[in-house]
Amino acid sequence: MDGTASQDELYQKAAEDYGQALGRLARAYEADADRSRDLLQEIHLALWRSFEKFEGRCSLRTWIYRVAHNVATSYVIRQNKRNPPAFLTLEEAEAECDHQSVEASADRQQSVTRLLALIQRLEPMDRQLIVAYLEGMDAESIAEITGLSAANVWTKIHRIKNFLTRQFYAGGPDAR
Amino acid sequence: MHGEHLPDDLRILWKEVGMNPPKFSPDQLRDEMGRLQAGRRRKYVTGVVGAWILLAAFALCFFAFDNTLTRVGSILWVLVGGLMLVELRRGRARVIPDVGGTDGVRYYRAELERQRDCCRGRRLLPRLLMLVPPWILFNVGFAQIHPELALFMWFDGATLPVAAAVAVWLNSRLARKYQRRIDALDASLKSTE
Repeated sequence: MDGTASQDELYQKAAEDYGQALGRLARAYEADADRSRDLLQEIHLALWRSFEKFEGRCSLRTWIYRVAHNVATSYVIRQNKRNPPAFLTLEEAEAECDHQSVEASADRQQSVTRLLALIQRLEPMDRQLIVAYLEGMDAESIAEITGLSAANVWTKIHRIKNFLTRQFYAGGPDAR
Repeated sequence: MHGEHLPDDLRILWKEVGMNPPKFSPDQLRDEMGRLQAGRRRKYVTGVVGAWILLAAFALCFFAFDNTLTRVGSILWVLVGGLMLVELRRGRARVIPDVGGTDGVRYYRAELERQRDCCRGRRLLPRLLMLVPPWILFNVGFAQIHPELALFMWFDGATLPVAAAVAVWLNSRLARKYQRRIDALDASLKSTE
């Protein structure tokens, strides 16, 4: 960390560079728009506070995503406290997918909504992986954020992608 | 299958998840932080006041009722009030987890473990057990002093143990669910190693 960079400056840089990504991340963890804003505020608050402790041992991006995902994970667990698990493991989601016929969506907005809905059904760990992947990160960067090995990340992302693919195109001519 | 081109599609689609995220200035966040801290302070003060009221009320009961069971019950309630004060102090000093320094898997697992332990009784069970003896003793003693209220006091005395038993049962079920999540996480990590 640059010794002169203050907590506020670091936060402002983070908010400027990653504000949009954090907004998408919050949507991946909370379907309701209003609550998603609350979660986003919680993430920003945690981020701003966390910069007190940031010593530059990892990249700024890794730090930001760790904070954001960890805060969102706590949020999801808290929300589901009286009814866990509200989310599915990949195995459960895949099994369920086999019994459903989902219409292929023509409308773009509908596709976005559906993508979000699919991601929101994954358990927090899988959400972290796919969100980081969708943000364009490589396996090594994702491994640094999640603590998994790069090979492990790659395998899991491959499985999640397959699940999303099947969900998206189930019902289409090439399905299954 | 569409696996070849889907990843890029998804990434493009993902960028369209737009909500025009609100922006927060450090000053806004500082204000929000202040608001949250004030809320926590209020909660703490309410808890302390409640504990002192409990303490004072049962200290008074100790002298007001000439019955051994009521007196023993009162002493135990005073102790409960004291323990509440200690717990409140401990809760206030709790360290906030390091969200930036902990990687996702460890953090998620730790959160699940924390929830499981909360439900399993490391904190809940002693708290509930701590309340049952003074509650029963005081009620039985009070019923001896006022036989006309005996039925009500016996009924009231039985309420807490029953409620405690139900709470323990529900929470142990919840703890098992969290444990299953932990096992599933471990299994999923092993399967991809």
